[in-house]
Amino acid sequence: MTSPKNLQSRTVHARETWAKRCDVTLYMSSTETAFPTVALNVSEGRENLYWKTIRAFQYIHDKHLDQADWFFKADDDTFVVVENLHLILSSFNPEEPYYLGRRFSPFVKQGYMSGGAGYVLSKEALRRFVKGFETGECTHFSSIEDMALGKCMETMKVPVVDTRDVLGRHTFHPFPLDKYVIRKPPGPQAWHMIYDHYPVIEGPDCCSDYAVSFHYIRPVQMYMLQYMTYHLRPFAYKYRF
Amino acid sequence: MKALGSKFSFYAGFVVGTFALYLFLRQLWYERAATASSSNYDKIHDYQLHLEQDRKVWKKDRSALFNLEHPHHTGEDSRMADELYKKVRILCWVMTGPNNLEKKTRHVKATWSRHCNVVVFMSSVDDPDFPTVGLGTKEGRDQLYWKTIRAFHYVYEHHRHEADWFLKADDDTYVIVDNLRWVLSNHTPEEPIYFGRRFKPYTKQGYMSGGAGYVLSKEALKRYVEGFKSKTCTHTTSVEDLAMGQCMEKVGVLAGDSRDTALRETFHPFVPEQHLTSKFPKSFWYWSYCYYPISEGPNCCSDISVSFHYVDSSLMYLLEYYTYHLRAFGYKYRYNPPISSVYKGVLEAPPAPAMDQQDQVRDLAQDQKPVQEAEEAHVEGH
Repeated sequence: MTSPKNLQSRTVHARETWAKRCDVTLYMSSTETAFPTVALNVSEGRENLYWKTIRAFQYIHDKHLDQADWFFKADDDTFVVVENLHLILSSFNPEEPYYLGRRFSPFVKQGYMSGGAGYVLSKEALRRFVKGFETGECTHFSSIEDMALGKCMETMKVPVVDTRDVLGRHTFHPFPLDKYVIRKPPGPQAWHMIYDHYPVIEGPDCCSDYAVSFHYIRPVQMYMLQYMTYHLRPFAYKYRF
Repeated sequence: MKALGSKFSFYAGFVVGTFALYLFLRQLWYERAATASSSNYDKIHDYQLHLEQDRKVWKKDRSALFNLEHPHHTGEDSRMADELYKKVRILCWVMTGPNNLEKKTRHVKATWSRHCNVVVFMSSVDDPDFPTVGLGTKEGRDQLYWKTIRAFHYVYEHHRHEADWFLKADDDTYVIVDNLRWVLSNHTPEEPIYFGRRFKPYTKQGYMSGGAGYVLSKEALKRYVEGFKSKTCTHTTSVEDLAMGQCMEKVGVLAGDSRDTALRETFHPFVPEQHLTSKFPKSFWYWSYCYYPISEGPNCCSDISVSFHYVDSSLMYLLEYYTYHLRAFGYKYRYNPPISSVYKGVLEAPPAPAMDQQDQVRDLAQDQKPVQEAEEAHVEGH
């Protein structure tokens, strides 16, 4: 999810680092360019975010449904480790409806997935999403894109999935790492963790070794994260899983 | 009189009643806060558990911390790392001061220094609890080389039999000690050699950047101490890394090449983000100081980098996670550093002669071999 003014400042860095690891990558914007971006029939701005999401998924459903099994939405300031996403998705059948990401509890009974951390729809879930708008079961009732999509998923009976790893550590992260791995002194729960459905542990147990995404990543940090994930490692360790 | 009395008792009663109500409500608020912040008590309990676990991992002895067991994470096969840990013993001493203990040094203690065989924190003041060693100097930039001299002498006197290599780092240096073991595994501690980020000015063979950290072999340390005894080396300047380089040259210790087999640097004088993405202006001193040609962009830094400098406390924890935890599942690394034959289980062989560039490129093309052996070993262990 991007916009014309972010293409050269942010999106190009996402493209150069993680975006090329996806099987199909589409850059959704309001105008068509040689980046290449897809023109959705929407104007820019926070109040149009959910319109962009709806149009983007409809576009994908029309043109790209057969090219993939899973459909992942990310922002242009999200860093994604695509291989780890493959790992999580490998245990699910894309013909079943599934909705995965960082689960937030408020507003929607079964919870909704944080938009910034990125969320995934299975092929069946995407079909149901588009059908929901055709039949009117889902509507544009709010511009808060992640919450509204979560409500539509609930309406169309797409279940949510717990994406934490076997040790209970989170994989999708709506904030950069330092908000989780640095322990704060004891006190009321930090504002950025209030929505989390599953408990968040501060410190080294916050985040899975196979983390999938981090949000609010500045462009230069994309290169740093790519170096950290795919290059820097301690010598002589062989990881079992 | 009677009216006054009754008014007075009314007010008095009101005050007493309010006070009683306040006490009652305070108890209620306290109880509610206590249940809400029960997680705080959990956190304190966790912290105490953490301290106890620490005691099993570290032994504090003579103002040094001895690592009792090599840090492991579940789900790792660290047999090779354990072998290297036993064979390439590193003593890390960290240059710090009393004002930095809370802000910086304790984060060094909590993160990368756990991977050293022995850690000593060098300060101007003795602190038996942390623990830090008091070097008998004052604090300040002009004291830096005095601290270094005394620190190395201290380490030689008290710990020379407990390690093979002796690393100096600052309290804002992050060191990946396992990767340092790779660099050192191709050499023996009897060689008079030292490694770090090599700078070229002022000296013939170059000197090692102080901030990025440098490591002396046992022989190099011995020659350093003897150099001071024989007055070959003296306190030439307070620019600590340069003075060290001058002394090393005088006592015949070689300035080693710490780059990996693809000729990428391993010791880094700045944070990873700067090395990977900054375009340093051509007038910046860095360009004229580096001994080897500088690569900007992704080729700046080896996959098995050893150190970064100007790392603040938060970045210490981030780097610990990024290095030891974050990885892509199923990703086969393109660069696989060759393992020295000494640690493949073969009997002690003489150190390999220095390879020229052609040999190094050929060696890189042969990296299929270590990968296969590594996979076989992995299958065995499974």
